[in-house]
Formats: sequence, C-alpha cells, structure tokens
Amino acid sequence: MAGSDLYVGTLDVLILKALSWGPMHGYGIGRWIRQTTEDGLAVHEGALYPALHRLQRKGWLDEEWGLTDTGREAKYYRLTPVGRRQLRAEISRWRAYASAVGAALDAVTA
Amino acid sequence: MRRLFRLSRPASEVSRDLSSELQFHLEMRTQELIASGLSPEAARSAALRAFGDVAQVERECRGISERRVRARERQDYMRGLVQDLRYALRTLRKSPGFTFIVVLTLALGIGANTAIFSMVRGVLLRPLPYRDPGQLVFLQQPATRAAVVNAQFSVPELMDYRAQSRALSGIVEYHSMPFILLGRGEPRRVQTGVVSANFFDLLGVQPALGRTFRPGEDVGGAEPVLVLSYGFWKTQLGGDPAIIGRTFTMNDHVHTVIGVLPPIPQYPGENDIYMPSSACPFRSSEQMINGRQMRMLTLFGRLAPGVTASGAQTELDAIAKRLHAEYPGDYHDDQGFGIVATPLQAQLTAQARPTLLLLLGTAAFVLLIACANVANLSLARLVRREREMALRAALGADRARLIRQLLAEGFILAGTGAVAGVALAWAGLGLLTSFAARFTPRSGEIALDAPVLLFGLGLGAFTGLLFGLLPALPSRVGLAGALKDGGATTGSSQSLRARAGLVVAQVAVSVMLLVGAGLMLRTVLALQSVDPGFDPEQVLGAKLDLNFSKYTSNELIQEFHERLRERLAAQPGIQMVASSRGYPLDGRRAFGFDFQIERHQRDPGEARPQADFQAASPDYFRALGIPLVTGRLFTAQDGPKAPSVAIINQSMARRYWPSENPVGQRVTTDSGETWTTIVGIVGDVHQYSLDAAPVDEMYLPFDQVPLREGALVLRGSADAGTLARRVKEEVLALDADQPLAGARPLVEVRGESLAAPRLTATLLGIFAGLALVITAAGLAGLMAFSVSQRTQEIGVRMALGAARSDVLGMVLRQGLRLVCIGLAAGAVGAFVLSRLMAGLLFGIRPNDAATFALTGVVLLTIATLACLVPARRAATVDPMVALRST
Repeated sequence: MAGSDLYVGTLDVLILKALSWGPMHGYGIGRWIRQTTEDGLAVHEGALYPALHRLQRKGWLDEEWGLTDTGREAKYYRLTPVGRRQLRAEISRWRAYASAVGAALDAVTA
Repeated sequence: MRRLFRLSRPASEVSRDLSSELQFHLEMRTQELIASGLSPEAARSAALRAFGDVAQVERECRGISERRVRARERQDYMRGLVQDLRYALRTLRKSPGFTFIVVLTLALGIGANTAIFSMVRGVLLRPLPYRDPGQLVFLQQPATRAAVVNAQFSVPELMDYRAQSRALSGIVEYHSMPFILLGRGEPRRVQTGVVSANFFDLLGVQPALGRTFRPGEDVGGAEPVLVLSYGFWKTQLGGDPAIIGRTFTMNDHVHTVIGVLPPIPQYPGENDIYMPSSACPFRSSEQMINGRQMRMLTLFGRLAPGVTASGAQTELDAIAKRLHAEYPGDYHDDQGFGIVATPLQAQLTAQARPTLLLLLGTAAFVLLIACANVANLSLARLVRREREMALRAALGADRARLIRQLLAEGFILAGTGAVAGVALAWAGLGLLTSFAARFTPRSGEIALDAPVLLFGLGLGAFTGLLFGLLPALPSRVGLAGALKDGGATTGSSQSLRARAGLVVAQVAVSVMLLVGAGLMLRTVLALQSVDPGFDPEQVLGAKLDLNFSKYTSNELIQEFHERLRERLAAQPGIQMVASSRGYPLDGRRAFGFDFQIERHQRDPGEARPQADFQAASPDYFRALGIPLVTGRLFTAQDGPKAPSVAIINQSMARRYWPSENPVGQRVTTDSGETWTTIVGIVGDVHQYSLDAAPVDEMYLPFDQVPLREGALVLRGSADAGTLARRVKEEVLALDADQPLAGARPLVEVRGESLAAPRLTATLLGIFAGLALVITAAGLAGLMAFSVSQRTQEIGVRMALGAARSDVLGMVLRQGLRLVCIGLAAGAVGAFVLSRLMAGLLFGIRPNDAATFALTGVVLLTIATLACLVPARRAATVDPMVALRST
C-alpha cells in the first residue's frame, strides 16, 4: 500500500507541495501528483486519503467544504501555517537525502 | 469560485463526510476516463481498480478523523471552560464588594462546619484504634438502689465472669494507680495502668517495639515486666531504641521493660506505663484477691463471634443472678447490684455526643443562612444582569453555556470560600481539641484528615452548585422577556418574592440559634452563680500520692503529713495548711461506703445508708472557708489514738436526721465493732461539679484515717506561684524521692470546671452572632434593592403629597413584616428544638420565656437598624429626579 516501496514520506511531501498552490480537493491533489510525476508512483490512488487525514490530524492541513466548478459540494484541503513550514523542512530534507544517496550511487570506487 | 459555508463538523458526521469525499473522487475519476474514450462501465471499474480497496481506505481514514475530531472537541470544551472561568473572574473583579461578602460568608459557614465535623469525625465516627472495635464492650456493675452507676468489679467477680461467660470471648481488667519509678534520672511519678496479661491482645494493640504481655505474666510470682506508653518513652526516655531489657525499680522490685506501645490514644485513660496485675502490690494483696467486695477494677470484654451486645447482656444478667444467690452477703438486696455491657465506643463518647451534635446542627444552620444570603445576593445581581444574559443568549450563547457561565462564577466563589473556610477550621483546631478533651478521651483523634478535607470541599462544591443553579431557574422566564422590557424586568418581581422568602427563613433560623446561645449563656451564668460551698480565693490544692512501698503504714503516712504541715505552716505568707483526701473539683472521686446508724432499724427494702468518705485535718474547713453549722470542727486532740469522730455535711444531716440533731449520734461501718461519734455539721460543698447537687459526705480526721493518696490544701497571702514552689521544696526536703503533682490555685480549678459549658456557650454565641450579622446584611440588601426598584413609585407618592416620614414608615413596615413572620416561625422552631438541648442546660428550662423574649427584642432591634439604612435612602428620594429617570 501507501509508499510501501517508496521513500517514507514521499506522498506526504507531494501532498504538501500540491497544496502550496492553494486549496484543493482530494481528487485534484491525486490528479496533480499523477500528472507531475507522470504516473511514476506505483501506488493505488486510495492511499492518498489516509495520508490526507493523517496530515490533517497532525495539524498541517485544514479542511473546508466548498463547491467545485461544476457546483458539487466537495471537501477542500488547505495548508496551515504549520503545514507550510513543514513543507519547507521536508523539501530541504528530501534534497539532502537525494543528494546523499545520489553521491553514494555515483561513487566510482567501491 | 468557492464559498466557505462551514468550517468543521462534529464527530457524528465524520463518516458521512468521508464517504462523500471518496465517492466524489471515484465519480471524478470515472468521468475523466470516460472523457478519454472509455465506456461508462469500463471507466467505472478502471477507476475502482486504480483506487484500490475502498472499504479499507474508508476504515483507515475514519479511524484517523474520529481521533482528530474528538481531540478537537475536548480542546474546545477546555478552552470554553477557561474562557468561562476568566469571564467569571473578570465579572467578579468588577463587583469586589459582592465577591468579598460572598466569599467571607461562605468561608465562615464552611469553616464552622468543617471544624465541627472534624470533632464529630474524630470523636463519634472514627472507629476506635483497635481490632474489630465494634466487638468491644465496657462492663459496669451498677448498684441502682444505692444510686451508684458503676461500683466496678472485684477480683473474685472478674474470675467468675471470666470463667462463666461464653458470650464474651475474653474479659480484661484495668485500673490505674500512681507509682514511683526509680532509675535513669530523678524519681518519677508514673501513672500506671495495671492490666491483665491479655489486655493488649484482647484490644488488638500491636507494640511499636518489643512485645506486650504474655499469658501467665499476670500470675502471682511472675517476673515483673513493664510496657511503656509511646509518649513516656519519647519524652521521658528520649525514645531510646535500646530500651527493651532495661530495668527500673518500682515498689522495691526490679521491673524489666519488654515493650513500647504504638502512638495511639489510650483508653480508658492515658498512662505512662503498664504493668501486669501481679506486679501491683495493691492488686496482688491477699485482701484484694479474696475480697468479693473490694471492687476497684474496670472491665472490658470482647463479644464472641456472632454475639450481639444485647445477647451478651442476657447471659451476663444470668451469671449475675447466680452470683447473687451464691454470695448473698456480698450483694445486699437493698443495694440492687446488676451488670451492664455497653459498646465501648458509645461509652467513651456518651458525654460528648449531645454537645457535638448540637454544635454540628448549629453550624449547619449557619451554613444554611450563609447559603440563603449568597443566593439572595446572586438573585439581586442576576436581576441587574438579566439584560446582559439576554443579550448573550440573543448573540447565540446557548442555555447550557449560560448555565455553565453561572456555575463557573458559583464555583469560583464557593471554591475560594471553601479553601478559606478549611484554613479557618485548621486555625481553630487546637482550640477545638482542648474543648473536646473536656468531654471525651477521644479528643486526641481530632484531625483535619482526608475525609474532613473532603467534607469541607464537598460543602464548597455543594454551595457552588446551589447558587450557581439557583439564579438560573428564574432566568428561564427572564431571558426572552428581558430584552423587550425597558427598565423593570419580568423576572424581578418573581425573584423579589423568592428573596423575601429567603430573608424570612434566615430570620427564623437566626432566632433558633439566638435562643440556643441565650439558653447556654444563661446556663453559664447560673453555674457561675452557684455557691460552690467553699471560698477558692487564695487557696491552693495539691495532690500528694506517697510511695506505695515506702509509706507502708498509717503511722508513716500520718507522720509525713504532720511534719509537712508543720514545715509549711512555719513559712511566711502561708496562713493555713491542711491534709485531706482531695480538694473540691479536683476530679478524683471519693470512695462511697455503707454505714449503720446506732439505734436505727431499717425498714425492709429501704436502701442502706451511704455516704462519700472524706478525710480532713483540723484546718481544712477554715482553709477552704467551709462554714461550721453546728457542733465543732476537728482539733489537734482528734489524733490517731483518740476516739473516732466524724463531721457530716448538711445534705447528709437532712437525709438521715431530718428531725433530730445528729451531733452526738454514732454510726458504724463495721457492723458495730467500732463506733464513730458525729461531732459537727458543715456546709455542703460541690466536690465533683458545680451542676450536680452536693452528695452526702462524712469527714473523718486525717490523722485517724491517713491516706497514701491524699492531698494538701493551703491558704496563703503569697502569690500562687511562690506558694506552689514552697510546697514542692518542702516535700522534697522531707523525702527527696517523692514527686508531687503541681499545686493549683482553686480559683483556676473552679474556672476550669466551668470551661466546658462556657466554651459551648461561646461557640453557640459566635455562631448565633454570625447568623445575626449575615441575616441583617441580607435584610438590608433586600430592602435596598426593593427601594431602588420602587424609586419611581416613591417619587409618585411624594409628588402626590406623601411626607418623608410616610415613606420611611412604608419601607420599615415592609421590612419588619418579613422579620415578624420569620420571628414567629423561628420561635416555633426554637420551642421544638431547644428541648433537644435540655441535657446541656443548668438552672433554666429549654422554653424559658425570658430568653425567648430577649431574643425577639435583640432580633427586632438589629432588623430595624438594618431596614433603617435603605428606608432613609428612600425618604431622601427627590420626586422630580425619580419621575424623570424613567
């Protein structure tokens, strides 16, 4: 399931990133991740929702109910100030991790 | 594009929101796939495939969300509560007068109740510090026809009851004597509990150190052993941990310490040390062991499993009947011997119970008045705040929230009051303990322990709830209407009636408390004016218990006393010295004895003549100022070898020689072997208490009946401290091993005998005064409020020609009408309730008209004063201002 063969927290940081543009509903977030990663994350779309609820419980996301462009009622997620700070921290952590792993993989001697 | 129309949802809606969220995703995804060219069915199943296990996701999400929502709800509630408390604090700070009065009133009410409850718990409710205390009984041997409540038991009687009783699993004996303990420092006079070996085992007392007595240690010839009380071990022996095995000399025998008792209160009396009965030279004498009439033991028993006190009583009655038949010479019919088993706890607290219950009832009444006052103040405040409440309700605060708001205020006030009250109780605890010590040996168990604290705080919570909710009740009517109305609000006339009712109740309760305090005060005054029969001014008394093993004969005792009297009489500042059995009100009961009058035949069934035995040297009567009625006093000629003479008191003279002169008559105590001639009659003396009638007494010359446990009485012009020091010096000069209990001024002794009723009266007086002040404040507050509500009406009346005095009278009449209703109700209540305290009164009937009348006058005066302030304000209303201020 969620992130089973992924770097732990990948989905979380992607959700935070998706919401950094503004409030979105779950489907919108899922679509954004699919499109930007070009379906590179081999997970079920359903895995998104427990992650969303968990982030909300941590206080990184807030919910608000609103109407979609088509006039449907939907639950929108929004970054809280804490969530925004968290996104910045996660991004720098991810970069550090990626470059560390990258450097190791690029090493010429074993 | 999006409109925010709600922020969050309660927990119950989590699951609905969740499924609609997931449904939305699936629908959107299906549409996306249809748009890319799939058929609706294929799109739907592709969307589901991409999503994964919907049910699993939903379960997982629901778990997370529910925890989140619950946490938020808790947080919201706490935040609301903090908000309420802060708001309440702000509101209360805005009316400091109200807050102060309420907290003070409650602190006094709760403090009084907590303090009294601590006494009731320590003395009446707490179980005795023994194993299964409910099984312990106190045994008494009354002689009803001789008016003796407890003649106590002799050794043969103890043996018989112990051997024959099945209802009691064990019987222990106890008596207490002073002995002199030698070794480790100066000689000490030690109060010694003399007990059977099973005493501590039967009570279930575990020693703090060493062991208690073993079976067989009270059999004649056993090695003398001692058990120390905790207090004696700590204070006199410095808590020496190696005390076990140490030896002391008592009564010329070496005694070994085998144990130390735990620090628990000792019953029936506090002793320094304990010894088995075999070690007591008096108790182990031939005369005591075989003398069925040598009754000096106190007995306790433990009920056998499953036996009740009344079951044991039936069996003991049967045993007593057998003994009476077997030894008719020792149980004269005309004395009416019997046996009574009373549960020990009831016995120890019998004297304290009525006083404590009276005080508890009184304190409860004070709290009731205090609550009424606070409710009254809250109602008045609420009327002023009705508009505020209505406004808040209109702005969306729901009813529950408003009540919580009122409760928050109530609990802040009551909580502060309770804490202050418990502090007050704590401060007064020492005083109360010494007060209770006058009624019961259990006073040492009074403490502010957890149950007492809970009681105090519980009272606080209760009052907080009471006046937090009370104002909320009329607000049901008031809330809606309050906004519509301009000035006078709909709730106010209703609440005014409620407040009038509260004031009437306060007045009624105050009357009852005032009557109680008044009766107690009159009792103290009556006791104070009792002529004790002696003149305590400039007189000192000292108990003088000579060493049992040193002063073994009457001659030695008599000689010691005579030399002591001579030495003291030679001192400057001492006018008179006398030896005696005791001195009045010293708390030591004299022995009673039977006697026969010469040439006097008793009618069959007539009680055998009896009197208390006193010993006195010649100057005793003059030193104490006891008047000689006829005949003569003792002289130096009434020595050991002289003919036996006696002086009797007036009470005894009246009873046995109602129509003759007793002087010259002879009596015998040994069936005619020796005769004693009555030589004089002296005035009655209150020997034991001022509230009991003097008993029949016969004085014998001290030199003819010297007492090892006696006393010294002296009259001197020097100050009491100097005199007491001289007595001690002279006693030690004669016998360096002879300790002496301090010499005490009789003025002090007499004052102390009045201390219990005086303290009861003081406490009741304080309570009643408190009630009066609280009630007056409540009345004044109500009238002031009523005047402020009627300002317009008063203005109209004055504009129409009413004089200021008319307005004054109107307000006064209105207030006093309430007072009179309360007064009448209170008088009826007092009439009923004061009977309950009849046992505590002296020299006055519980329905004493003067006390009732005086109470009425005091109350009316105070009430008039309380009404006068608002009435005068009403009379100074300017009609023009009042009419314009609509």
